[in-house]
Amino acid sequence: MNEPQMNLQTTVLDDGLGLIAAAGYINNEGGQAVADAAWELVGGGCNSLVIDLDGTRIINSIGVSILLEIMEKIMEGDGKLAFCNLTPTIAKTFEIMGLDQYAGIFPDREAAVTSFVVDGSA
Amino acid sequence: MEVVLHLPAVPNVELVAAKAVETLGKALGMDRDGIEAVSVALVEACLNAMEHGGSSFVVRLASEDGRSPRMRVEVEDQGRGFDPDACPPDDSTRVQGCVSKRGWGLTLIRELMDDVQISSRPGLTRVCMWKELESAP
Repeated sequence: MNEPQMNLQTTVLDDGLGLIAAAGYINNEGGQAVADAAWELVGGGCNSLVIDLDGTRIINSIGVSILLEIMEKIMEGDGKLAFCNLTPTIAKTFEIMGLDQYAGIFPDREAAVTSFVVDGSA
Repeated sequence: MEVVLHLPAVPNVELVAAKAVETLGKALGMDRDGIEAVSVALVEACLNAMEHGGSSFVVRLASEDGRSPRMRVEVEDQGRGFDPDACPPDDSTRVQGCVSKRGWGLTLIRELMDDVQISSRPGLTRVCMWKELESAP
């Protein structure tokens, strides 16, 4: 089970694609930490993002709402957002709240990054 | 087997309840996916109790034997209460562009658990939910 503290790592990949590895409890604070990392990458020229949730086991609806806001702003900038390494419960939560309708969901980081290379959107 | 927690409404206290689910779930032989589904549902119930219920609330976890052994989870608060039937059904199509994205707690609880019963009146709200030990998330 997750600790309250969020552990974040950000990386700028090729062609305007940013990667956020987020491990921890995605609540209001954890979600905001992910959002802050996202805006830093976007400000640095990344218009599309991969958020890797390997190490995140528990979330709440407030945290997912913040992820939805990230998705909307990325889409407003004609970018795309993808998630990977979701637990079955987190994947179902994303499905219930509709996040999977607009963001790509991938089993692992390689598949998520490759999806941007294939469609050339990054 | 039963666990009873009297919890104050303080930030992240819901993780204490989730940890109890993990401990009891493992003792009952529940798999990791089931434990995490119960944990997320319980976290939502705790958040509702803290938002609407006042300074403290009670969480009860218990195992139930029978043809399909399951975990019972209760969250009880002494807040103003609400009418669960009056809550609008959530619809994932309302997500994009919607100003308010709050209010998903009951939907997540109902979707992640196998059975849910809610009783509420001013001064006592009880959310009771069950998860079979071998059900999918």
